[in-house]
Amino acid sequence: MHWWIRGYATRGSEWRRALGRLWRSRLALVGLAIVVALVVVAVFAPWIAPYSPTKINLRERLKPPSVAHPFGTDDAGRDILSRVIYGSRVTLRICVLVVGLTLGIGTLLGLISGYFGGWVDEVLMRVSDVFLAFPALILAMAIAAALGPSLENAIVAMVAIWWPRYARVTRGQVLSIREIDFVAAARAAGASSTRIMLRHILPNCISPVVVQATLDLGEVVLTAATLSFIGFGAQPPTPEWGAMVSVGRNFLRDYWWYTTFPGLAILITVMGFNLLGDAVRDILDPRLRRGP
Amino acid sequence: MRRLSGVLCWVLVLGAMAWAGEDVLVMGVTAEPETLDPHVTVDNNSWRAIYYCYDRLVEYEGGTTKLRPGLAQSWEISEDGLTYTFHLRQGITFIDGTPFNAEAVRFNFERLFAIGKGPAGTFEFIKSVEVIDEYTIKFVLDAPFAPALSAFATDQGCIVSPGVMEHEVDGDWGQDWLSEHTAGTGPFYAAEWIHGMRLVLKRNEGYWGEPAKLAQVELRYVPEPEDLRMLLEKGEIDIAEKLTVDQIQSLKGVPGIRVFEAPSFQCHYIYLNCQRPYLNDVRVRRAISYAIDYQGIVDYIWQGTAVRMEGPVPIGFAEHIPVYQYPYDPERAKALLEEAGYDKGFTLRIMHSPVVPEWRQMAIVVQQNLAEIGIDVEVESYAWPTLRAKLDQGDFDMSFGYWTPDYADADMFTWFWFYSENWGLPGNRAWYKNEVMDDLVTAERVEINPEERQRLFEGIQWLAVSDAPYVYLVQAKYQLPMREWVKGYVYNPMLLNMPNFSGIYIEK
Repeated sequence: MHWWIRGYATRGSEWRRALGRLWRSRLALVGLAIVVALVVVAVFAPWIAPYSPTKINLRERLKPPSVAHPFGTDDAGRDILSRVIYGSRVTLRICVLVVGLTLGIGTLLGLISGYFGGWVDEVLMRVSDVFLAFPALILAMAIAAALGPSLENAIVAMVAIWWPRYARVTRGQVLSIREIDFVAAARAAGASSTRIMLRHILPNCISPVVVQATLDLGEVVLTAATLSFIGFGAQPPTPEWGAMVSVGRNFLRDYWWYTTFPGLAILITVMGFNLLGDAVRDILDPRLRRGP
Repeated sequence: MRRLSGVLCWVLVLGAMAWAGEDVLVMGVTAEPETLDPHVTVDNNSWRAIYYCYDRLVEYEGGTTKLRPGLAQSWEISEDGLTYTFHLRQGITFIDGTPFNAEAVRFNFERLFAIGKGPAGTFEFIKSVEVIDEYTIKFVLDAPFAPALSAFATDQGCIVSPGVMEHEVDGDWGQDWLSEHTAGTGPFYAAEWIHGMRLVLKRNEGYWGEPAKLAQVELRYVPEPEDLRMLLEKGEIDIAEKLTVDQIQSLKGVPGIRVFEAPSFQCHYIYLNCQRPYLNDVRVRRAISYAIDYQGIVDYIWQGTAVRMEGPVPIGFAEHIPVYQYPYDPERAKALLEEAGYDKGFTLRIMHSPVVPEWRQMAIVVQQNLAEIGIDVEVESYAWPTLRAKLDQGDFDMSFGYWTPDYADADMFTWFWFYSENWGLPGNRAWYKNEVMDDLVTAERVEINPEERQRLFEGIQWLAVSDAPYVYLVQAKYQLPMREWVKGYVYNPMLLNMPNFSGIYIEK
């Protein structure tokens, strides 16, 4: 029997139990706290940040951390704390867009591929093979370079390298679910393919996709920072953490704070997403579920 | 594991051997040459590698702009300034064994003009080249041209062996081969180029003149300035180019390191592409010139190691005159944009390259300055070759750039920059065209009377400021950090970024 097939009636209690498990895992709580904090900081950035993230003030350039500038200032005299705070918005936007788009595109294509099979499946899966055959970062760099350096193009590049993962996972699920009796029953009752896919199959194959998505969030943050670090992502004056680390590396020896704080922000955020992702996997995947 | 440690041992041993040699100079550079062919490149990073692999008919004397005999023993210039006759040295052979003679010199100019890239522009004034006898060659000019003799001392005047034709492929004049090799008479030759790693010059043991003291010069490619600085501090490299202003400031006072510093004619600008929408309107270009905080850039980004430019001809040139400097006046800039009908604002892109770290810092300032007058600026960073290709094709709105003179005549800063036939890399990087200016810069080239010529230069300088195709930013000091054991370094402002490898030696 397949673990993910559950009746609609029990879903509410499942979620309650899942939240209970989350509550009991301390590491998961830390992850959750970091992610919540990130969201809060991002949403309230204009109220939290002491200065504008882009306003330059050459007189104040490269000042060490102080009461006025707790994280110091960069080479254009901008407050690094404010830039790190605003950077959370950029990071969160990338996460939501990349994971949202890949989830949408990947799941849809996986669903179609798995449900219809045949040549549709062949074509879609061979295309995804092509994308998976390249090292992800190299492909993202190539796409971002071809489109021109900008944050939007970096997002497009990341979506392009990521969707096959979701298409694969979804297709695998669909292949096994579509053979189960209730799908046959729906078909016998005269339901359309769209209805069967969206109402009967999709809800039953979504949790592994969600697990995959939560696990990917950290990687998305890191990839976005990497692309910006090598110059393919955010362009000045966007306060993007990866770009800040990149620029700051030539100042590292004399002005340690320039790179350190955005670097810490990346570290903590990725850690938060990873802890949370692990926990979500533990909860939604009973094969890995530990005893109560 | 054992194999790995074996390899490590070898690396250490070889490293130590290379390091200990006192006749080996290692110069760390952040940019690689684009090609080694002197008839193709106008890039200082290429010139640094090849200048001392070749000789020229005449040479700069030490650190001055005076000329001394090179491959030519002596020369005569006709009364009317139209013919230059060079008497060549005898008994010299190129590194590939080809004998050096008048025919070889003629071949060079044939090749230069046939290829027709940037370097050919330097010799635009030549009408014909005639071989008189085996060791005499005559150049006939279209019209008298004051800096003609100096042009022969620039990298563009390097004399290449006719032997390169043995490597010719599909009528390319041996370009393919010469882009990776050298074939000159100079004190060095390019022995090995591992792209992305190092370029090794070795001493030409059969050099006809005074041999170089160094047996080998290694140009080590270190793309990260911070790594470069660390290598210099550890003494693994002897000279470092180029570090950021901030890094050089912290290097001053480090024991064992000397930061050479001298005024230079290295000028930094913003090229405003006059063929692009918005920028084709002189009011917009003037508005941009008014909008920039020059003093902030000089004081904080260059930290006093640069002065603001005053018009197109750098301060220190005899032809320089004090012309109008656009003050930092955002209100006036806004008024100009309004007058041009662009009060709603618009978006422009600006290019820079990490090879000059100060460009990124200035880009941030310029971005904010222009935002204040309603111009949204998108900053884009490109690798050096991409940036140069885009400049050459006019595929940009605005770009940072710098220019260094090859000879001490204001022609370097006028004809090249403003003549509309020189669009792209040859010099007119603003893709600017004004017929009055075209007339002035072509007239300046042929004027013999120095006073008349100066009058023309004055006109050019005023018009260049008034039309504002460039934002004249700063004239930077040349700063070159090196170990104190590097001796014999002579700075020549005409040979910027090209240390005199033929005279340098190491004394530890």
